[in-house]
Amino acid sequence: MDNSKKNVTIIGGGVAGLTTAIELSQYSFQVDVIEKSPFLGGHGIQYACKATDRCVKCGACVVEEKLKTAAALSSIRLHTESQIEKITQSKTYSVSLLKRPAFINPTKCTNCGICFQRCPADAINRGFSTGNQPLFAISKNKCLYFKDGSCTLCASKCPEDAITLTAAETTESFNSDAIVLATGFQPYNPEKKPYGYHRFVNVITNLELEQMLRRHSVAQRPSDGQAPGKIAFIQCVGSRDAKLNHLWCSKVCCGSALRMARLIRSRQPEIEISFFYIDVQSFGKNFEAFYREAQNEIEMIRSIPADIYPAEDDSLRAIYYDSSTRQSHEPIFDLVILSIGMLPNPDNSQHTEMFGLKSDPFGFWSYESSSALTNGKGVFTVGAANGPMSIAETVIQAEQTAWQVYNDLVIESNNAP
Amino acid sequence: MQDTQPIHDLTQLDHTRYKSWPFNQDICLTCALCASACPASGIDALDPRSLVRQVGYGLEDALVAERWPWICTMCAKCEHVCPMDIQIADMVRNLRGLRDRQNVPGILQQGLEAALETGNNLRLPQEDFVFIVEDVGEELAEEAGFENFKVALDKDGANLLTTIHNKLVNTHTEDLKHFWKIFHAAGESWTLPTDNWEGTNWGYFTGDDEAMKTMVGRIVANLDKLNITHLLLPE
Repeated sequence: MDNSKKNVTIIGGGVAGLTTAIELSQYSFQVDVIEKSPFLGGHGIQYACKATDRCVKCGACVVEEKLKTAAALSSIRLHTESQIEKITQSKTYSVSLLKRPAFINPTKCTNCGICFQRCPADAINRGFSTGNQPLFAISKNKCLYFKDGSCTLCASKCPEDAITLTAAETTESFNSDAIVLATGFQPYNPEKKPYGYHRFVNVITNLELEQMLRRHSVAQRPSDGQAPGKIAFIQCVGSRDAKLNHLWCSKVCCGSALRMARLIRSRQPEIEISFFYIDVQSFGKNFEAFYREAQNEIEMIRSIPADIYPAEDDSLRAIYYDSSTRQSHEPIFDLVILSIGMLPNPDNSQHTEMFGLKSDPFGFWSYESSSALTNGKGVFTVGAANGPMSIAETVIQAEQTAWQVYNDLVIESNNAP
Repeated sequence: MQDTQPIHDLTQLDHTRYKSWPFNQDICLTCALCASACPASGIDALDPRSLVRQVGYGLEDALVAERWPWICTMCAKCEHVCPMDIQIADMVRNLRGLRDRQNVPGILQQGLEAALETGNNLRLPQEDFVFIVEDVGEELAEEAGFENFKVALDKDGANLLTTIHNKLVNTHTEDLKHFWKIFHAAGESWTLPTDNWEGTNWGYFTGDDEAMKTMVGRIVANLDKLNITHLLLPE
């Protein structure tokens, strides 16, 4: 099977885009993955492995594995810090990319981290996986060189001479036989909910807890780095919310929050955890057994708190009504985790229009059905851009999408009269 | 479990009973944000989530007998936090309306009947009302800076029609002066009607739509009669 003259462009370098790219390369296609951020792996690469005494199938390691596999395949070109400037269609799609300057040369950089440690302006970001080459990226907004030219410390300290602050923006164009949109989801910003997010330092989101557990392995209070005595999880923040027109369940947060809660309990058994929920949305054949075990070590409270007030020493007072005692309670927590909703990527609407796709009323491409979508003209959608889904579901959908692309570009065109 | 007795008579169960109510009560997710937010929840075990669900289930006898709708202050903080946009405070008002009028708590029904008959909750005769407000007006005119003050009664073509809470001509007459001082200092053209001046609408509080409309209609009639377009309702 020689498809090597056929090219597929994938927009989005998260687990959906990377898995689709790997599968397409198995069919011998050439693949270009376009990622707007400096780091591949999307949200999933920021997640922590949640295994306790055994694997709990959270899927975090799968993202790591997909990133490493995609980076090693010569038929896949990974474009980070890149965006589509223009896509036009004649017989094939003609794709023009705008690539932000590569200040850190990926072939020279050894990921030693000296630039990251020495930067006086906190302008160098560290990625989440060494599968990402380079692991570091310079943020132009914070960098003093781009502010007033006053600092070139990173470039002069780099032992590999890999940093060029004068690097220029580049463009690149190529033809593509199909486009796959893998633009992922947008996390809900809970600042307007009555929980003091971004006002009280010890109120964080479930995604921030994922990053914390990935980086430090344990739960810490952001205010002082100490282990919290009591943690609250508040579910459904920004999902299942008619006022926000977010009528969907984000589907993965009950499972991932309970997995994180159990992981914390296994590593820091002295921490008490309360879990505020509406109803636990459980999926997968093992979940019921997992959930029963979780109930033994986590205080499950079927009520959502309506207020959080600051208490002594940066701790937090949560107000909730307990139907079993028919009273309001005001327990104190050291750390509060908001399980925030998964929203459609704001870029979706632009692609919907450009490619004549169908989206649901909320802006996901296929909320109703988990099957991959296409506009019938070589454009496909995959992953959480189609609606909230787990890493495992995303991988399955990516494999289906790759097959559909193959079917379209090879089988159908061979059968054409 | 502390509850060993069934809470409700399930023969009452009829989810279609309040279907026509426009408060979104049937899309409740039972998240309890309303109950967690309610400043009165827990008083007599008041549980707004349970109340919304009882309406969804159509448990009419329990809802009519229940004290909760009368404990609620209708502050609507529950509505503010409800993710499903359920109009809980309005729903509570409808629940109050389900009770026989003789079982309306406290003096509410008595006051309302007085208002429907006489124009005010106190059954205060017109000449007594006029005497009280003019007396308070004269007191105010004795204060420095208010020498020319006069209570403007039934003034045709004023800019502002004011109504008053009945306690201002009963136990809290001093409080009349606060409004009047502001009007005087601002040079406002205002007036007070000598009948149907009552601004407190207990038909509204007790869920009695007909009585509420009558009370509102009288204020509108005063606006028309005196050719006034602006209303101040300090209740």
